[in-house]
Amino acid sequence: MVRHDVVVVGAGMAGMRAAIEAARYGADVGVVSKLHPTRSHSGAAEGGINAALGNAGEDSPDKHAFFTVKGSDYLGDQDAIQVMCEEGPGDIYELEHMGAVFSRTEDGRIAQRPFGAGGAPRTCYAADITGHVLLHVLYEQLVKSGVTVYEEWFALDLVVDGERCVGLTAWDLVRGGVQGVEARAVILATGGLGRIYRGTTNAYACTGDGMSMAWRAGVPLKDMEFMQFHPTTLKANGVLITEGCRGEGGYLRNGQGERFMFTYAPNAGELASRDVVSRAEQTEIDEGRGVDGCVLLDLTHLGAKRINERLHGSRELSLDYAGVDPIDEPIPVRPGAHYHMGGVDTDMWCRTSMPGLYAAGEAACVSVHGANRLGGNSLLETVVFGRRSGAAAAQEVRENGLGGVFPPAAVRVTERRIKSMLDLERGERPAALRQELADTMYDNVGIFRSAEKLELAKQRVGELRERYARGLTIQDKGRTFNSDLIQAIELGSMLEMADCLVTGAIARTESRGAHSRLDYPERDDENWLRHTLTYYDNGEVGLDYKPVTITEHEPAVRSY
Amino acid sequence: MEVTLKIHRYNPETEHSGLETYTVQADETATLLDVLDVVKDEVDGSLSYRKSCRMAVCGSCGMRMNGAAVLACKTPMKPLVDRGEVPVISPMGNLPVIKDLVVDMGPFWEKFRAIKPYLDEGSGDAPVKEWRIQQEQLDQIMKEALCIQCGCCVSECNSMEADPDFLGPAALAKAARFVYDVRDRGGKGRLERYNGYHGVWDCTRCYFCNERCPKGVDPRDAIAKVGARIFQEGMRSDKGARHAKVFVDSSHKTGYLLETNLVPETVGALAAIKEIPFAMKMVRAGKVPNPLKPHKAGKLDEVRRLNTLVGEQEKQALEAVHRGPAWPAEDAPPPPEDDE
Repeated sequence: MVRHDVVVVGAGMAGMRAAIEAARYGADVGVVSKLHPTRSHSGAAEGGINAALGNAGEDSPDKHAFFTVKGSDYLGDQDAIQVMCEEGPGDIYELEHMGAVFSRTEDGRIAQRPFGAGGAPRTCYAADITGHVLLHVLYEQLVKSGVTVYEEWFALDLVVDGERCVGLTAWDLVRGGVQGVEARAVILATGGLGRIYRGTTNAYACTGDGMSMAWRAGVPLKDMEFMQFHPTTLKANGVLITEGCRGEGGYLRNGQGERFMFTYAPNAGELASRDVVSRAEQTEIDEGRGVDGCVLLDLTHLGAKRINERLHGSRELSLDYAGVDPIDEPIPVRPGAHYHMGGVDTDMWCRTSMPGLYAAGEAACVSVHGANRLGGNSLLETVVFGRRSGAAAAQEVRENGLGGVFPPAAVRVTERRIKSMLDLERGERPAALRQELADTMYDNVGIFRSAEKLELAKQRVGELRERYARGLTIQDKGRTFNSDLIQAIELGSMLEMADCLVTGAIARTESRGAHSRLDYPERDDENWLRHTLTYYDNGEVGLDYKPVTITEHEPAVRSY
Repeated sequence: MEVTLKIHRYNPETEHSGLETYTVQADETATLLDVLDVVKDEVDGSLSYRKSCRMAVCGSCGMRMNGAAVLACKTPMKPLVDRGEVPVISPMGNLPVIKDLVVDMGPFWEKFRAIKPYLDEGSGDAPVKEWRIQQEQLDQIMKEALCIQCGCCVSECNSMEADPDFLGPAALAKAARFVYDVRDRGGKGRLERYNGYHGVWDCTRCYFCNERCPKGVDPRDAIAKVGARIFQEGMRSDKGARHAKVFVDSSHKTGYLLETNLVPETVGALAAIKEIPFAMKMVRAGKVPNPLKPHKAGKLDEVRRLNTLVGEQEKQALEAVHRGPAWPAEDAPPPPEDDE
C-alpha cells in the first residue's frame, strides 16, 4: 500500500507534465505507469507542436483557435480551444527553457513550419523527432522534481468511496502482486486506444486502459466515435511517416503519378486536414488508382540535404520498414488509425464527473479536437492540459483535505479477479481475440462507415466480449514479469472501448470530421452539433449527449 | 517465411534456465520483435520480453542476437533466414536478468540520475521568450539528443564489465548533451561529476558502444567530448586526465609515447617508486625501450601538425558553447542609465 496526495496514471507527456506541476504546487506526487516513462508513446510523435509564436510569419492565438475550431468540424469546445491556443506559447517557451532542442530560424528563434489546415506556419519542431525530444526533456524534469515513479505498475481499477475517487489498484509487473495506491486525487493520462485497429500507428501499449477504468467506474466518455486516420503510414506495420514531410513540401501522388489532392482540396492540396486527405487517399485506392493498396508520398524533389536535415527520422523509418530510400523514390503510404479524439469527459481544468478524478492528454476529451484533430495540436494539448490537471488536482487536495477513505477490501477484490484469470486452465488465447477485434474495426469502422457495417461490427464486438467473459487461457502462471497476463487484461479494455466507439458511431447519423458515413454524407448541425457521451450501463454501453460550447465561431461550411 | 531461433529462457521462480529452439511462420518483412510475438502468441505465452513502439524510438526491446546488442524491432529477420542462420537470442549484458529477455534496468537509471540529467538553469534569468541560439550551436548536441536510453551500449560496454560502477556510455552521452548545451550553467561543478572515479577516464575506448548503438548516437565520441571539455577547463587532477595528458605531450614532443614517463607523470613520482618491481619485470620481458637512446619519430612535424589540427577542431566546438545563448532583443536588459 502506498499513499500520495496526487497520483498520476501514465507517464507520457501529459502525465509527466501533470506530475511536475502538482509537485510545484507542493503536493506529494506519485506516478504509476505500465511502462518506464521514456517508453511512452508520446515519444513517437514526429512532426511538431503548435503555438502561435509568429516566428515564421504573421500569426496569433485567435487565428490558431479559429483553424482548430474549423479543423474540429465545429465539434470542439471553443472556450477550451481558446485557452489552449492562448496558453500554448508560454508552454513552448517553458519547454525551451527546460532544454528542448527545438530547430532554429536564421536569427536563432524557434523554427516553425506549416502543418495541414493550420492556416499559418505554426508548428514548432525538433527536426522530426519532436515527441522524443519533449518526452525526454519532461523526464529530465520529472527526475529533478523528485516525484516517486512506480515503473511497470499496471493500473487495474479505480477505487471509489461513495462518489469520490480515493485511489486505484495496480499490478506490480516485475514482482507480481496487487498494490493499493491511495490518493486524494487521481489524474488519468494513459493515452489512446489505437491498438483496437489493425495497421495502427500506435504502440502496443495504446490499449485504452485508463478510459476503460473510468468507464467501468461510471464516468462518462465523450465523442468516442471519432478516430483519426493519419494519411501517411507504412504498409507493412503502420509506422507513422510525419505530416512534416508534406509541411516541408512533399507531394502525394496516385499510381498514375498525379498529385490528386487538388481534386479534393483545391486550395490546400496536400496540406488539407487529415480527415480530408485520408478520405481522398482511400477514394483513390478504392477507385483503382492506388499502388498495391497505397498511394505515394514523394519527397524526391526536396533533395538529399533537406531530407537529411529535417526529415532524417522519416528516411530511416522508410529504409527500415519499407525498404525505400525517399531520396531516390517515393514512399508507399496508406491511411492508418492514428489518434483518438474521444476520451474521458472533462472540463477545461480536466475535472471529470467524479470528484477527485481528473484526465488529460489523449485519454481525455476536453474537447479541443472535436471531430478531427489538427497535426501538431496533440503535443500541445498534453503540455497545456497536463499542466492544468496537475495544478487543479494539487489545489483541490490543498483545499479539500482528506477526501475519502480507501477501503482495505479493494485490494483483495482485485486480487481475486486476477487470481481467477490466472487459475483458468481452459479457454481461448488472447492473441486470437485481439486479432479478430483489430480486423473487425479496420474492416467495418474505418474511414468510410455505414449502418450496415457498423451494426456488423457491434455484433462482432459483442460476441468477442462474450468470449472474453467466458475466460481466456493465460499460459504464464508465474508472478514475475507476466506480460501474458497484462496483455489479457489490456484486451478486456480494448473490447470495452471498441464497443463504446462503435455504439457512438451507429447513433451518429451524419458525417463530421473523421466520422464519415456513406449513408449520411452531410454534416447535420441541427441534430448532431453535440457531444456523444457513452457511459457504463450494467456492462453495456449507454448513450447520452451534451451541447457543444460555441463562443465566437458559428458553424460554417468547411472546405480546404 | 519459416524462422528458427534459439532463445535463452530463465524463470526465477522455478530457477529453470536454458536454450529453447522455436520454429514459426512469419511475414517476409518480419523483424525480430515480430517473430518473438509469433512465438508468444502461438507457441509459448510465458515468454517474456519488453516492447512498445515497434519503431525504434521507445527503447524497450534491447536484447542480444548472437551475442551482440540489437533493438528487436529494428532487426529484420529475412537476411538471416536467407543465410540459413539460426540466431541465438539472449538478454542484454551488464544488467541483472529478471526473466527470459527482461533485464533489471535499475542500475542503468541509477547512473542516469547520477550525472544530474537535467539542464542547470542557473539563477533563473531566462528570457520571457526563447533563448536565441544558432542552429550550429544546437547541432553540437543533436546526436546525443537522439539517444532513446535503450541500454544497447551499456550491454556491450567492456569497461562496465570490469567496473560495474563505471558511469557508462549511455549516462555519459547524456552528460555530453548538457556539457555542450549553451543554455546549461552547470559549469565546473557538472564536469566534476564526470571527472572522478568511474567517470570519463575509465572508458577503455573499445568503441563497442559506437558499434552497437541503434540510433547513431556514438557514445564513445560523446565521452571524448566531455573529456576534452574537462581538459580545456584545466581540470587535470584526476589520474585519468593526467594519463591522457602524458599521451598528448609525449606525442607532441617525440612523436612516440614515452612509456618511462607514463607511470610517474600519471600517479606522481613517489607513488611510481612502488611500481619499480613491476617495471623491472617489464624490462626483463623486453617491454621497455632503452630510455637512454634518442627517441624521436622520423616525421615529427607531421605528428605535430596533426596534434594542432585536432586541438583547433576541439577549440572551435567549444567556442560555440562558450558563446552561449543570446537574449531575445525584446527581452534584453535595459542599457545602464546615463547619470550625466
